[in-house]
Amino acid sequence: MDFLNLLARLADLDTTALPAAAPRRAALGRLGQAGTALLPALLFAGALPQPAAAAPQDTRTRLDVLLLARQISVFENEFYSQALGLVAGVAAVPLSATEKTAVQTLQQQEALRVALFSKLITDGGATLPTAPRYDFTGSKNGTKAALYPDLQTSPDTFLRVAQLLEDAGGRALLGQAEYVRNDGYLFEAVVRAQSVEARHASHIRTMRRQRGATVKSWVSPADAAITTAGTVAAKVYEGESNTVQVYTTTATATVAAATVSVPFSSTLPINVGTPPLTPAGILEKVAEAFDEPFDAIVYTNLADLFTY
Amino acid sequence: MSNITQNASDEAEFAKPLYTPIKRRSFFMYAGATAGATALLLSGCDDDDNTNVTPASGTVSLGSGDVGVLNYAYALEQLEAAFYAQVKATPAADFSATEKDYFNQVAAHEAIHRDFFKAAINRDAPGKIIPTLGAADLNFGSIDFTKRASVLATAKTFEDLGVAAYNGAGKYLKNPAYLVIAGQIVSVEARHAAYVRDLISNGSFADDSIIDPVTGLDKAMEPVAVIAAAQPFIKVKLDASQVGK
Repeated sequence: MDFLNLLARLADLDTTALPAAAPRRAALGRLGQAGTALLPALLFAGALPQPAAAAPQDTRTRLDVLLLARQISVFENEFYSQALGLVAGVAAVPLSATEKTAVQTLQQQEALRVALFSKLITDGGATLPTAPRYDFTGSKNGTKAALYPDLQTSPDTFLRVAQLLEDAGGRALLGQAEYVRNDGYLFEAVVRAQSVEARHASHIRTMRRQRGATVKSWVSPADAAITTAGTVAAKVYEGESNTVQVYTTTATATVAAATVSVPFSSTLPINVGTPPLTPAGILEKVAEAFDEPFDAIVYTNLADLFTY
Repeated sequence: MSNITQNASDEAEFAKPLYTPIKRRSFFMYAGATAGATALLLSGCDDDDNTNVTPASGTVSLGSGDVGVLNYAYALEQLEAAFYAQVKATPAADFSATEKDYFNQVAAHEAIHRDFFKAAINRDAPGKIIPTLGAADLNFGSIDFTKRASVLATAKTFEDLGVAAYNGAGKYLKNPAYLVIAGQIVSVEARHAAYVRDLISNGSFADDSIIDPVTGLDKAMEPVAVIAAAQPFIKVKLDASQVGK
């Protein structure tokens, strides 16, 4: 039996048993403490409902994942629709013909996924959330200083926010996939949506580079920052510059298990060609070579900047 | 019965806490859940009687279960890394300086992915890794490395294939740590794919040939279909029929 799969099912079925307000990190902490002792007992007893109440569980259900996946596409669809002048009362961003064609592609693909995820939600018996009101300048309809005052008139600003949303969408979806791993169809839909976000982000970055910005098609420590440190938006890039991917060693009778980083910069033969990269140069490539997931809250906080 | 016991210890060895990506939430989750469930996870139903790396008549089996998926990814990353290493060593005459620089960077990313899987398999499933695909095992005869167009067309094939491969194989991974790392990699492969496509034809980063025009989702392919598409570039025959099973 696939035990984690079972756990995930229990988590879905018995969400009421978890104290509703329990902070997720606390829940995870309990998982760490209780896991070893609890799980074998659970398995041997074969009693499913009882341990579910005590079993630590994640708070992301399938519906949570679907709603976030839909929100990401709804949000980008609205953002691009406004830029294309498709929304009444909002002027189109003055893009070149080539840029406009690309934004149309982006908008249409987001609209397709809005339809897909909406259908999955309603087919499952849930209702769709009410559409929020959007203000992509970040001024909350003029009630506070705008974050991007020239969004509707400056293609550079528009593309900067587009990059932020696409990079964020990809990271958020990446963070959701593991919660639906026991649902083959939904899992695959999430990862396939995520790689589309990555393609979109790559193209937006190419568009920005063509306009003179210092940015690669992938997230790199060498990119010029597009957010201000300490802001909600900056969280989108937090952790992306990881230069270390770690694993846990096998414990032996005499040596405890330890967390060890993959030795990209020393022993692995990744230094193809000449001149050889410096160790710092290799680590920059390591950071680029892996996109990092983030929690749903980072995305919803970002979305909150642009809704009122 | 003894067979089951054997399997249990085998799988337990394989399912140890693993390559945890940097995400701390996941790390704690695995630290707890995996420590508790490791001995139990997978041991019940997976009759994993694979003899992964024994080539039968020139065929290399990628293996079954999670290690099969890892070997599958490792084979594809080896192919990509070898291709870009050659591109870097003998860049096409009509590449711009920027494009040369781009391919040097992609070469490094793919080499990192390759080495990551090598390290992962060797640690988690000792003895089950597929052989290294050396120059003699690969067949790049159809690629004209001196021509930009030929290199870009091949790069597009490999990157799109890689994205579809990860998108289609993720569901076969039972271990969440692998699942996350596969996602971390496919995301970068998709960025490569979009960039190469835009080099060939600006704006083709996500056209209908690769994005489903009904669902708006990227392509996903089953392991056997991916290996069939990659096989012309690999002399040794790869058997993906048991991957994830």
